[in-house]
Amino acid sequence: MSEALFQASVDAVVRGDAKKAEELARQGLAEGIEPLVLINQAFVPGINQVGEMFGAGKLFLPELIMSAKAMQAATDIINAAIPEGNAQEGRGRFVIGTVEGDVHDIGKTIVVALLKANGFEVLDLGRDVPTDRLIEEADKFNAHIIGTSALLTTTMPAQQKLEEALKKAGLKGRFKTMVGGAPVTERWAKKIGADGFAEDAGAAVVVAKQLLATN
Amino acid sequence: MHTAHIMASCMGGIRTAGDLVAWMQLTRRMKIHEAKRYVAEKLGVDVFELTDEEIMREIRKDLGLGTVTSIAGSPKGIRAKWRIAELLGVPIRSVQLFRSQLGI
Amino acid sequence: MSQKILTRMGDGERLAMDAQEIRDDIRRGTAEAARRAGVPELTEAEQEELFAILAEPGRIVSVEPGREVIVTDDGCSMSFYSGQDGGGVGAPLSRLQAVLTYERACGADTTSMGHSDYSYKPVKPIINFEANDYYNISQVTTAPFLYGAQPNMGLYFQPDGPCANAAELMPLGKIDEARAAQEEACEHLRRDLVFVGRRLAEVGLEGLNFDTCGSAGDADYLAALQAVEELKKDLPDLPIIMGGAGEFVLGMHGGVEYQGRRLAGLYPHEQVKVAEAAGVDIYGVAVSTATTESVAWNLARAVTFVKAASEASSIPVHANVGMGVCGVPMMEQPPIDAVTRVSKALVQIGKADGL
Repeated sequence: MSEALFQASVDAVVRGDAKKAEELARQGLAEGIEPLVLINQAFVPGINQVGEMFGAGKLFLPELIMSAKAMQAATDIINAAIPEGNAQEGRGRFVIGTVEGDVHDIGKTIVVALLKANGFEVLDLGRDVPTDRLIEEADKFNAHIIGTSALLTTTMPAQQKLEEALKKAGLKGRFKTMVGGAPVTERWAKKIGADGFAEDAGAAVVVAKQLLATN
Repeated sequence: MHTAHIMASCMGGIRTAGDLVAWMQLTRRMKIHEAKRYVAEKLGVDVFELTDEEIMREIRKDLGLGTVTSIAGSPKGIRAKWRIAELLGVPIRSVQLFRSQLGI
Repeated sequence: MSQKILTRMGDGERLAMDAQEIRDDIRRGTAEAARRAGVPELTEAEQEELFAILAEPGRIVSVEPGREVIVTDDGCSMSFYSGQDGGGVGAPLSRLQAVLTYERACGADTTSMGHSDYSYKPVKPIINFEANDYYNISQVTTAPFLYGAQPNMGLYFQPDGPCANAAELMPLGKIDEARAAQEEACEHLRRDLVFVGRRLAEVGLEGLNFDTCGSAGDADYLAALQAVEELKKDLPDLPIIMGGAGEFVLGMHGGVEYQGRRLAGLYPHEQVKVAEAAGVDIYGVAVSTATTESVAWNLARAVTFVKAASEASSIPVHANVGMGVCGVPMMEQPPIDAVTRVSKALVQIGKADGL
């Protein structure tokens, strides 16, 4: 029975059917399935499948947003059923923006969508975001991770500027940093001292989860 | 980097017959082999000779198609393109405009 | 101990790999492309030919005599005089000098010029300046001289343009609003592409290049197709090159169609068919280079896509080989050992009609 429910839940997330996802979350809890088992076996595989399909061009941004909503609807219900103190690790809080001087926001938008779909609380500051603002907003949001995107080789230095500003303010240990964007590489991330690099939106989720686990 | 691609793969532009084959791709949507065959036939050479500087330089000079080194009094630019358009039988828009300006 | 082969990672880092490691990466790369696009993997013989190209001991390699192709460019002459923003070396040359240098000193098959922003929208207010430069240069060039830029639909969204910002609306779940904004931006973009094409056509434009179409998603790609179709109606003799932005059309809208075909998710062998139907004369295939994989993996993947597109196409297919594309490492000064191997493999195995 559980297997059928798990598969139906995966399908609901992939189809972006929030109503069905909610219904299946309630049904699973009513059948006595452990909340964490329900999340990890019924819904997480669904959103993973969505991420893979998006990365392969088999599913598109509007559908990805709908799937994220379905995932959110189900996890809200299941999280509410987890007894106080037994909750899975808190949701990661992620501040993101395209660096100052750079107006490209398509790639960042996809990262935001996938992070949300995977349960992160995301504060999207948009594009052309000054370094000071990234830090101020991360502070107010009590972020775990600050992610920056740069599409141009000429705007990449702003990612380095953020690392230097964090060090100067003594905040480097408080926030993890992630960098991405078309010309950005692992080597650049290492060079400037960023904690993580992601080649694409799917990798951003994986790296963000890893960074969260080491927080 | 473009120069690296030119050295590795390019027909050679006006050094050889690269521009002529490019015109055929642009104006007649010909794939590479068809475009080369067409140009070779018009020039009366083998396809293999289209990228041979030794052969193509003389042909270009004789037909007034423009050469990569500058020869005083020899056609280049719009005048060479006029000859190219006539040789290949294709419309080159800049040449059409030039001709209309001359009332031809 | 097996002999190591010098090669590169997708970010340009030099590394030495075993022959078997390179063969394994070739196998993984072609399998990945084939799985994604639903096209055939490279055959064993093709994989071995690719291995041989990568394993050639020389610093640079080249195609065999007689197998040369046409090299079109995406604003190369601009990189002679521009600064870092244009990937340029900042030499003190005018546009005219740069174009003639490219034609005569480098022996390029075609040359081009474009606005330094390399987008069509900012060309509109300065069209007379561009037309004047284009006309003057076209009088002295011999090789085909094109005008090129990117559609870049992102410039039509607020705060740069008149349309609501789809990239902000979409993550908020405002899908209908985001789609409407993209459809509106698509219409603005189409009009501007046609406007620039027509005005340059009046001064004898020899060819137009819509470069990196779809960088802002499927509606951006649609605008380019529609512009090609419209331009070709009254200017059937105007050659138009159209290039993609990645191995598949990004579905930022997800629902836009051209001639009944959904554009989102189209792979190169499918892209080239819609481009052909719109009236495009040469199609440029783009495949993103993954920086965390080797050149062997990236190149096997790119060659697989390009070969499928070349076989499916009735029009010439040029592989886009700029920085970080089709196996060229993602760095500002791509190493020539890798660049020339990419060049040779895409022509000899990918059967590209040009680069």
